[in-house]
Amino acid sequence: MALVPISVAFSQQIGGRAGQAKIDAASVERRNQVYRPNCGFCHGLDARGAAGPDLARSLIVLKDVDGKELGSFLNSGRPEAGMPAFASLSPEQSADLAAFLHAKIEESRARSPIDVNAIVVGNAAERAAFFKGDGKCRTCHSPDTDFKGIGAKYDPFVLQGRIINPRGGRDGPSIKPSTVRVTLPSGETVAGRLVAVDDFSVTLINGSGVRRSFFRDNEVPKVEITDPYQAHMDNFLKITDKQMHDLTAYLVTLK
Amino acid sequence: MRLRLRTLWLAIMSVPVGLPQPQLAPELLGAPPVDAWPTYHGDYSGRHYSTLSQIHQSNVKNLGLAWLYRANTNAHGAETGGSVPEAVPIRLGPGALAGGLLKSTPLFVNGVLYFSAPDHAWAVDARNGKEIWHFFWKTSGGDHIGNRGLGMRRSWLYLETPDGYVVSLDAGTGKERWHKQIADVRAEYFATSPPIVIRDHVIVGVSGDALDVPGWLESRDPETGEIQWKWYTTPRAGESGIETWPDAYAAEHGGGMPWQPVTYDPDLNLIYATTGNPNPVYRGDLRKGANLYTASIVALNPDKGKMAWYFQSSPHDTHDWDAAQVPVLFDLNLNGQPRKLLAQASRNGFFFVLDRTNGQNLISTTFVESPNWFKGVDERGQPIPNPEKDSQLGGTLISPNNGGAANWTPPTYDPETELIYLNTAQGYEIHYQYKTDGPSFGSSGHISQAVGGIEASLRAIDPKTGKLRWVHKYAGTEWNPPRPEHLGGLLSTAGKLLFAGAPGGFLVAYNPETGRQLWHTSLDREVSNTPITYMLDGVQYVLAAAGDTLYAFRVQH
Repeated sequence: MALVPISVAFSQQIGGRAGQAKIDAASVERRNQVYRPNCGFCHGLDARGAAGPDLARSLIVLKDVDGKELGSFLNSGRPEAGMPAFASLSPEQSADLAAFLHAKIEESRARSPIDVNAIVVGNAAERAAFFKGDGKCRTCHSPDTDFKGIGAKYDPFVLQGRIINPRGGRDGPSIKPSTVRVTLPSGETVAGRLVAVDDFSVTLINGSGVRRSFFRDNEVPKVEITDPYQAHMDNFLKITDKQMHDLTAYLVTLK
Repeated sequence: MRLRLRTLWLAIMSVPVGLPQPQLAPELLGAPPVDAWPTYHGDYSGRHYSTLSQIHQSNVKNLGLAWLYRANTNAHGAETGGSVPEAVPIRLGPGALAGGLLKSTPLFVNGVLYFSAPDHAWAVDARNGKEIWHFFWKTSGGDHIGNRGLGMRRSWLYLETPDGYVVSLDAGTGKERWHKQIADVRAEYFATSPPIVIRDHVIVGVSGDALDVPGWLESRDPETGEIQWKWYTTPRAGESGIETWPDAYAAEHGGGMPWQPVTYDPDLNLIYATTGNPNPVYRGDLRKGANLYTASIVALNPDKGKMAWYFQSSPHDTHDWDAAQVPVLFDLNLNGQPRKLLAQASRNGFFFVLDRTNGQNLISTTFVESPNWFKGVDERGQPIPNPEKDSQLGGTLISPNNGGAANWTPPTYDPETELIYLNTAQGYEIHYQYKTDGPSFGSSGHISQAVGGIEASLRAIDPKTGKLRWVHKYAGTEWNPPRPEHLGGLLSTAGKLLFAGAPGGFLVAYNPETGRQLWHTSLDREVSNTPITYMLDGVQYVLAAAGDTLYAFRVQH
């Protein structure tokens, strides 16, 4: 049931590019000295393109290992496209250039962490219509009770996620369980806290703390679930980005 | 006894001298799958439908396990090949890389099942689940997210590998015949798709949207492995469609990976390929325009690789919604006229029906309720994205989520009910673009926050109207619906049965008219491939994979 708060890609990558560019920090300056005077004028000091193309996205660079392919390309250039030949470039210099550019690739693709405070772009004062009206927030929440200090407890990123889905998120509080009522063919009903449900069984803990499980066969027995967060579920289909931004800005103020 | 000897003698006599066994008779490729399931889709249509009816609504309740096979990934005793001298085998099973799942749809030919996983292929005896051979590919790397199956022609199998090769194996022994590089792993290409064999063409596609590299589909010679044609999914300078990119440079770095197998209409001699999302993935401002032919359905001539028509499922996608979902081919009478149709339930939540002779759009509608990213459809029937739903610094609430309303696992079309069935999800994500200046690369400067969603469900869609016939909501999927592909693909049969995986690790048989459950069994994990069915020794089997295990079912007496 736990939600992954941030969709960090599960690493499925082995070997490949990631393994080939061994960046030696000590020689960064030496590499800059090869890159800047030879390439920077056309490709930009950061190699991300100027008059010439972005070298971090260059297929020649991507496929290069230790400057070998790059070196032979540079030795002859691409005169028809305005790219001069660098005939005197040594294999060591090509390797330095390759190392410089592979570092640029890794730097450019990085998904650096988001500044969680920067996402607060809404207007707290404009939350009211949704908070008191359509969103039905006031039915359950108040700044004087459960929301007291919530802006100090969670960062804006988590707050925003929990406005949409209060059942997940980092550092979430204990979740209020759903309740369930099972009506057996005999007419007997069994009710309690919902533990688990799928298409073929339902499990609950009744008021006496006893765990009960039932098979399900299509609509038998009848299973009725009451979710304390139903209003949030209903909001999936109607909340706007502005309402979400304004609510986030408001909750942040409740320190 | 005499009869059996004679049968044996005939069998021996019918083996052409000098040709290795087993043979896939060429006429079986594309035929309705009965005694063979010789291609990923069974036939070429992508319908995942079988005419078999020995298992039917009345006896499906007696379906029981015939055997199971747990994927052996031990290098010891395996036939080996590879792009490097030594490598550690990728394991399958819980805790393994990418979930360690068997996503492969098995091929079934002459009593033998052939299936695959990243760096692995197996042949298994369909009568008892015993392994005949195991092939292990020593990889130089690449994304090991999955492998969806093999292609077969005569006695040869074709396997794509995570490090970008296509490998031909001897189906009788599992020994490598040759391998050819199709894409360079150093540019973070990888390959997961089952090759589709059409006459003397092996059609293979590539994957990989990490580094803004170009995508293409290509055809290889089945005997030599040499390239026959290559079709880039984005136009080059001077080509039609280039006007939908800022310039040729953007188009060349525009991605559009065709990472799913094609379908094929032999009468029209057209293959239907589907393409991936454009690059950079989220920075639409760096590639203003529709970005043809990414996130599209395209019809190509299989002999030349020339495009006949296209339809763009997600014009100018900015949410990582490839249109790689199966283009399902079927014929129907519409307004009294027989029509050759193509349907796709796309990752972005849209259901399209096209005339597959010319790409003319007949239906465009959403098949779930949650999609919130479009303003309408254009005159071609293509969705018009709402730019306000691009990723923003303050967050944009988007549905579908990255898993899509549908994903790569095949739907099924049942010609008796004339309905399409598929597993769907209504998931949400908040997308943030926190770096909007300067050049981009892949997905840089973007993050998304998963916020669960409404539900996952099995849905029956009428392709004549686009309307839902029935919806079976999976219990317990509210708040955190599984990605649709994590429930596996679907199968329908003339036994008036629909087979589908369900959350909780079930394989379920439904009445396709009503969605009523008729049978289910509990597997180790969720169904991870697409179930198939076939006849062997007069008995119909249903096969499904879950996790690292392949399960075979038959009616138990």
